This record gives sequence, structure tokens and C-alpha cells, in this order.
Amino acid sequence: MTIRNVRDHGQRYRPRMSCLKKMEAVVLEMQDPKTGVKSQTQRLVITTIPHAITGEDIVEWIANRFKIDAAEARAMGTMMVAFGYIYPLQDHKRLILKPDTSLYRFQTPYFWPAQQWPVEDTDYAIYLAKRNIRKKGLLELHEQEQYNNLHKWMNHKWDFIVMQAKEQYRAGKERKKPDRVVFDCQERAYWVVHRPPPGTISGMDCGLERMVDPNQEEIIFTQQCIMRPRVKSSVSIGALVKYTTTYKQHDPFLYPCLPSNPWLTDDVTYWHLNMPNVENPTKMRVERWTFSFGELLSDPRGRADFRLFLKKEFSGENLAFWEACEDLKWGAAATMQEKAQQIYKTFLARGAPRWINIDGKTMEITVKGLSHPHRYVLDAAQTHIYMLMKKDSYGRYLKSPVFKETQKKAVAPEAHKFSEAQLEQNAKKRRPSLSPIILRQQEEEQKAKLAASGPVDITQVMSKLAQKKATEPEQKT
Amino acid sequence: MPVDWGADMGKDECKTMLDALNKVTACYRHLVSALGSTSDSQNLREELKKTRKKAQELAVANRTKLTALLKDKSISNDDRAEYERLWVLFTSSMEILEVDMKRSLEIGQSFPLKVPTRHFIQTGMTGSTTTVAARAMSVQNMKYEADASIDTADLKDLETEIAQVDQMMEEMEMKVQVAPWAVEAKQEAGAELKSTVSVGNSSVGVISVCEEEPKEGGEGEAGLMKVFAGIIFTAVLLIAGILGYLVINL
Repeated sequence: MTIRNVRDHGQRYRPRMSCLKKMEAVVLEMQDPKTGVKSQTQRLVITTIPHAITGEDIVEWIANRFKIDAAEARAMGTMMVAFGYIYPLQDHKRLILKPDTSLYRFQTPYFWPAQQWPVEDTDYAIYLAKRNIRKKGLLELHEQEQYNNLHKWMNHKWDFIVMQAKEQYRAGKERKKPDRVVFDCQERAYWVVHRPPPGTISGMDCGLERMVDPNQEEIIFTQQCIMRPRVKSSVSIGALVKYTTTYKQHDPFLYPCLPSNPWLTDDVTYWHLNMPNVENPTKMRVERWTFSFGELLSDPRGRADFRLFLKKEFSGENLAFWEACEDLKWGAAATMQEKAQQIYKTFLARGAPRWINIDGKTMEITVKGLSHPHRYVLDAAQTHIYMLMKKDSYGRYLKSPVFKETQKKAVAPEAHKFSEAQLEQNAKKRRPSLSPIILRQQEEEQKAKLAASGPVDITQVMSKLAQKKATEPEQKT
Repeated sequence: MPVDWGADMGKDECKTMLDALNKVTACYRHLVSALGSTSDSQNLREELKKTRKKAQELAVANRTKLTALLKDKSISNDDRAEYERLWVLFTSSMEILEVDMKRSLEIGQSFPLKVPTRHFIQTGMTGSTTTVAARAMSVQNMKYEADASIDTADLKDLETEIAQVDQMMEEMEMKVQVAPWAVEAKQEAGAELKSTVSVGNSSVGVISVCEEEPKEGGEGEAGLMKVFAGIIFTAVLLIAGILGYLVINL
């Protein structure tokens, strides 16, 4: 009993064999007496056999049917020959389509390549035995080698193979001469495809037999892609349009930036006016803060303004907490533990000096996570506070006197109008900007100042209120 | 030794039945290879049906006989080895038969006879397969009595028969414990050449007709003939030259 079903597994993971069904459809079309390929008779020494087709007819038919050029039609024809749907009558070992008068013939459906019918070695052994009978023991070299191999490892079936070969040979002789010739050619062509002579490549070569699907990961990935929620294009395009209309005047590529684009005129006023910690921002910059809360927070000047506003409202701890979380996320791993503890002590613990107001569930998750702190342990709380600020404080900020003051004092520089000579002058006066090291130092200094001067204790806020009123004009800068 | 004589009888009977099954399997394969081609016809479908039925009868008969023989515990070791060999012959035949039946179902379904838009593949085979079927059925001439709808009606029968064969093979696997790889073949490599010496002239013609490229195998023989002819020719020339010389000189 041969082990039967093991081979099936490998067959299923060869998707490129799905071309076979399509080729069968094409072959069937070629058979139509009116619209199919023209057939001729093959004249041999004694007999004539019908249904021979020339290579050029095949190429022409394919080119007409699929509206492709001759080279592609030839390639397609070669594929059909390589798979064994058509076999050459002359030069039968080279499975290519020659676009001249060389003759070909269609293969019978029994010998068509099929994925579900694996090519058995038993059949090959029977074929070789039959050939041995026909050629009186003079097989070709590779056939002889295969024969010996098969005899060795299929030895237990050898009696059967011999018996069956003899019977098939005798059964074949029962047919008329032309049919016999055709059948021999068919069988030979079939085995050239499936057991190619050495040095030739087989069209049916599918690589190693696989037990496991190598494309499994890709399949899972594509299945998940299909299941992803999709946005209607009207919605996504609407969002894109909204973004572009909002930001178009702020894009230096589309609109001239004021006073002038430093890259074009070599005049660095624009950069000086838009420094991170400038006292009076430009009007455009202030306008950007109104677009979204994210814009406000990502601009250091905007954040400073917002911080000022929150100080007045006595809800500065939200922003401080948010900044501390950012620091934890992007900071060095060595100080992470320490920072997390500090944050907990300052913002989250009961009776903490700057206690933030988050809901019970988030607090629970955060406190639990803090027992094993990692970079993103405060993510939930941070998101909560961010949304709180966005929905609540941001709206009030935009209507507040702080913001209105900033807006009033905002600078709207005039556009520069440089002449050619002035442009040349500017080019000569080009100097490198401040070194990033210095900029970083400035940033650090700013941070330190903030940490030192910011209100720390909510309990002390009342006493500080009076002090603040006195120092207001100074703090406004 | 009535037991041995009975066993010998059993063996011979088995062998004849297996030979018959073998013959029918080979013929069935020939017939199936003609399906879908231009030599397909209503007759072919009927031939397939009849051959199939015969094959099944033989299969059942063989199976009962062989299982009975193998179940008998009182046989000698040599006998047992022989029966196992016959068993392997039987199962191999059945496997080929099963695959051919499944394929004939598939091809029969894709190539119905009466649909005018469905053309048969022009394979170059135009003759009928009557003689092959006659060989399978061991009759002189085949009689055709089926009606026109045989191609569709037969397919249902075929499906049930395939299921039956599947079931039979499963039962066989369960009931009979034979290790096929342990069987040693009696024939050695090249055994098929021995009894087919009387190949006949017609097949020689077939060889020369099918091979349209230079014969590698035949070259040895042809070369020998050429050398021989060359030797004779030169010998004749020499003799002619010597005679001429003698005539001139004498």
C-alpha cells in the first residue's frame, strides 16, 4: 500500500499552477473548426496523420485572439508547449514554440498537466519498460539511469510493472497504425514534460515539496488588511481639503512668507522673528495656534502663552503633568524610574501638591502600572489630561485676555523688496546661525527657570495670589 | 498431498485472475487516454462502461480469493510470500484502476458528447477503440446497445463505483496486513524484453515513423551496416582491379 495522501499537501501551496485552468480554456478555443487554429496533415513515410498545426499558425492565432504582438504570442505559445498542452513533432525534446513551419499537435486531455493528479513513478516505470520493449533494450542514457534507479527502489512492484507494461504494449498494438503512432508521440511528449531529460528545465518544476504553507504570514497580513475599517473617500478627501484650505497661507512654498524667505533673499529676519522664545510672535504664528490644540502645544511660544493662561486659572498642573509625561516618554532610560516616582509624588498621590483630576479607572490603571514603570506607563493618564485641556482650557484660552493681548502685540512684518544689488549684498553678508549646542543650552536654562519659578503647591496658591498680583507686569514678559 | 494441490490450484487460479485484471486495467487506461480527443464517441463511453464493470467484477473476485488465501494461517512461509507478492500485484492494479476511474470521471464531465459548442481536442487520433475494448472483454466483436444519453447517465454510475472502489481499498488496507515493501520481485530488470521477442514487423515500422530525429539508438546498428557495406564494396573493387590487371597482363 503506497502512502497516498502526503503528497497532496504540497500541491495546494503552488498557486502559480492556477494558470493551468486558464490554459485549458484557451486550448479548447483553439479547437473550434471555424475560429480555431488551422490544421494540416502530417505526412509520414507510410501514413498520414491529421491535426498537425504549424508554429506560425499558433502564434498568429494567439496574437489575434488576445490582441498582443507576435513576440508575446510566441512567449505564450512556448508556455503552452512547456506545460505540455501542445507538443512538437520534430525535435521533441526542446519544448519551445518555433514560429515557422515546424509542426505541433494537441495533447489529449488525459495527458494534460493537472495539479490534482500527481505524476507517479509507477507510471514512469511502466512507460520506461514499454519503451524498453519497443527499442529492444536500447534506452537513452538518462532513461537507462532512471530505469535502474526505479528498479532498485520500486523492486517490490517490479513484477506488476513488467506485467502491466507488456499488457499495455499489447493493448496499444490493437489500434490502427496512425493511432498507434499518435499515442506513442503523446506518451513520449508527456514524459518529456514531467521527467525532463538532463540539462532541460521542466515547466512543471515547482521547487521542493512543502508541508507548510510558506505564505502563511502574508495570508494573515492580507486578511487583516481586508478587515481593517475603511474610510469613505468622500470623508478622507473632505479632511484633506479642509487641511489644505486651513494651512495654505502658512506654507512657504505656496505663499510668500513675511518679511521674506531667508532661503531666497539671504535675509534672516524671518528666523529672528520666529525664534522659539521670542517675546512678540508674528501674526501668522498666532493664527496657527488657533487651528488646533496640537499646534498650540508644539510651538514653544504658544505653550508658554498657554502656561501663563493656566497659571491665572490655577490649573497649571495639567500642563505640567503633560510635560512631565512627555519628558518620561522621550527621556533617558536611566532616569525613568526616578522620574516616574517623582511624577507620582507630585501629581498622582493622594494629597499631592499638584494633584491632577483624572477619573478613578485611569488612576487605578496608572497606579498599578507604576509598580513596574516603563516609558509608556502614564500614557492613559496623559491622554486623559490632554483631552481635558483640549476640550476645556483650550476654548477658554482662545477667548481669554492673555491670548487677545498676545494677538494685539503680534508683529506683522512688511514684505521686503530687495533690489538686485541688495540681494547680492545680503548674499555676501551670510553668516551661520546660532549653533545648536547654544540653542540647547538656552532651552535647558529656560526649563530650569520654569521649574524654579512655577507654582508648586496648590495649598500655597492663595498666599501666592497676592504676590502674583504685584509681580504681574514682570511676569507678562 | 491434497492440501498442496489445493494450494497450487488456488495459486494458479489467482494468477489467471490477476492476469485478467491486469489486462483489463491496461485496456482501460488506453481507453481513458482517448477521452476528450477526436476519437471520443458514444461507443467509447460505452466501452469504458463495460470495461469498468468487468474490471470491478474481477477486482471483487480477486479480492475474495486473495483475502481467503491470506487469512489461512496454515500455509507455509514460501506460499505466504507468494501470496503476498500476488497481493501487491493486485493492489497496484487497483490503484491504477482507481486513478483512471477518477480521471475518466473528470474528463467525461468536461467533455460532454452532445454539446455542439464543445469541441473535442484534435489530437490526430481518429480511429475507434473497438479492438482495445474487445481485448479487454475477451470477445471477438463488441456490441453497442447504449442510448444517446450515456455520457451523462454513466457519470453518476461512475461516481458510485468510484466510491465503492475507495471503500473496498480501505477495507483491504484494514483487513490484510501485508507489508508491500517486503515483497521481492521475481522478475529482474529487463525482464519485459524476454517474452516479447516476436515483436513483428509492424512495430519496426512504428519505430521508424515516430522518431523523426536522428536515431541515437539505431545508430550503432546502422553504422555497423555501413561499415559492412563499405568492406564489401572495397572488396569488390579490389577483385575488379586484380582481374583487370590480370586481363591486361595476360
